[in-house]
Amino acid sequence: MTDSGSAPAALHAERVWFSFRNHDWVLRDISLVIPAGKHTVIMGPSGIGKTTLLRVLAGLLKPNQGQVRVFGHPTEELKPRELSALVGYIPQQLGLVRNLCALENVLMGALGRLADSRALLGLFPRDEIEKARAALEMMGIGHKNSEQVFRLSGGERQRVAIARTLLQHPRIVVADEFASDLDLALASEILTRIRRAAEQEQITFIMSMHRMGLARQFGDAVLALKNGELVPGFIGNEILETLSIEPSL
Amino acid sequence: MRSPFVLPVITTFFLLAVLAHLGFFDWARLSRGFRNLGILGADMVPPDLGILPVASAALWETVEMSFAGTLLGFLASLPLSILGTRRLFSTWVSSLARFIAAGIRTIPVLLWAIVFVILVGLGPLAGTLGIAAYTVGYLAKIYADLFEGTDPEIMEAVQSTGASKLQLVRFVVIPEAANAVLAQVLFMLEYNIRASSILGFVGAGGLGFVIQIYLQSLDYRRLATVLLLVLVIVLLMDGISAWLRNRFLLSAHTA
Repeated sequence: MTDSGSAPAALHAERVWFSFRNHDWVLRDISLVIPAGKHTVIMGPSGIGKTTLLRVLAGLLKPNQGQVRVFGHPTEELKPRELSALVGYIPQQLGLVRNLCALENVLMGALGRLADSRALLGLFPRDEIEKARAALEMMGIGHKNSEQVFRLSGGERQRVAIARTLLQHPRIVVADEFASDLDLALASEILTRIRRAAEQEQITFIMSMHRMGLARQFGDAVLALKNGELVPGFIGNEILETLSIEPSL
Repeated sequence: MRSPFVLPVITTFFLLAVLAHLGFFDWARLSRGFRNLGILGADMVPPDLGILPVASAALWETVEMSFAGTLLGFLASLPLSILGTRRLFSTWVSSLARFIAAGIRTIPVLLWAIVFVILVGLGPLAGTLGIAAYTVGYLAKIYADLFEGTDPEIMEAVQSTGASKLQLVRFVVIPEAANAVLAQVLFMLEYNIRASSILGFVGAGGLGFVIQIYLQSLDYRRLATVLLLVLVIVLLMDGISAWLRNRFLLSAHTA
C-alpha cells in the first residue's frame, strides 16, 4: 500500500495511540506515511481529535504508544531546537503575540537559531530582519510590517503566522484549521501563496480543514479522522488519492 | 430549601450585628461626633498659607519617595514574579518565589518604614525602601498570576520555534501582559503617594512628619493647608495616570 517509493518519508507515524486520560483513546493505532513535498489535509468533524493528531505529529504531544518519525528521527529523541528546525506548528488561533508588530512576530521564527544575549535585547541580525521582511512580502502583507497584530484583520494575521513559520525554515509545517475563518476567496488566495512558498522552500504541509473545496484545492491527499482512526478522505462521491494508511508495518 | 433570600438575609443580619458591636448604633456618641466635626471644620478655616514653603518641600520629598519606591519595587518584582510563574518554573521554585512575595506582603507599608528607619536611620531613604518593599510584595503576586494566565496556545506556538525560556518571557509573557503590567504600576504609584504621606509619622520622611506636628499641636489651620496640598497632588496623579492609560492602554482594547 505504500506509495512513498524511493522518495524519503517526511513524516512517518507508526501505530500511534494517544489519550489524555486513562484509556479514553483519542487516537487509536494511527499509522501514516507522508512523502516529502506532498501536502496533506486532514478532515473530520470538530471535537474528533484533529488538533490532538496534529500536535502529536508535530512532536508537541508524546504518544502513549507508537512513534512519530520526522525525516527518520523519532520526535521524542529530538531536543526542542532540533525539532524546531524540522517541524513548524501553527495553532488554530495562530499563537501570535498581539501587542507586538507583524515584523517582530515573524522574527520569532528565528529565535531557535539565536543566542539569548542579543535576542533578549530585541537585537536581531540584519539578515534575519531582511528575511522576515521578505517572508511578509511573499505573503502579500509587506506594507503592514510595523502594525501591531491586534490591529490586523483575520486574513492578515494568517499571513503573519505563515511568514513566522517560513522564517523558522522547517521542512514540515503542521497547521491547525488554517484559513478556516476566512471567506472563500481570501482563503483560496492565501492557500495559493502558501503552495508557492512551499514549493520554493521545499516544505511539506500538513493541515486540518473542514471545508471540502479548500481541501481539494490545497491537498495532494485528503485523510479523514473518524473515531480516532484515519480513513481515506471523500469529497462528494469521489475518493481522492490517499496516502498509505498501513494497519501494520 | 435554597431560597434566593437566604444569603441576603444572613448577610444583612451579620452586618447589623457587627455594626452594633462596633458602636455604630450609639446615637449619642455619633451626634457628638457630628458636632465636633463642625468645630474642627471651623478651626480649619481659613487655611494658613504661610507654611506653604515648608509644606511644599515636604510634599516634594513625599513625591520623590513614592516615585523612587514604586520604580524600585516594580523592577524587583519582575524577576520574582517570573520565578513565581508555575508554567515556566517547577512547583518548587515558583512556590518559593510566591512564598517570599506573600511574606513581604504580610507586613504593612508603615511597618516596613519602621523596619528601615531602624536599619538606615531617619529620613526619606527609609520611606523609599519601605515603599519599595511593599510594592515588591504586591506586584510580584499580581504579576505572577497575570503571567500564569498567558494564552497557552501562544506559548506553545512560540516554543515550537525553538525559543528558550528567557526568550519566551521576553517575547510572549511580558508583551502579552503589558497592558495589565502598566495598569498595576500606575495603581501602585497612586497608592504609594497616599501611603507615603503618612510615613513621616514614624520618621521615614515626607509630609507625614509635618502633618503629625500640626495634629499634635492642634494647629488645624496649618493642617488644613497640608491636607489641601495632599488633595492637589492626588488629583494631579489621577490626571497623569489617566493620561498614561489613554495613551498606552485604551488603544489595545479597541481591537
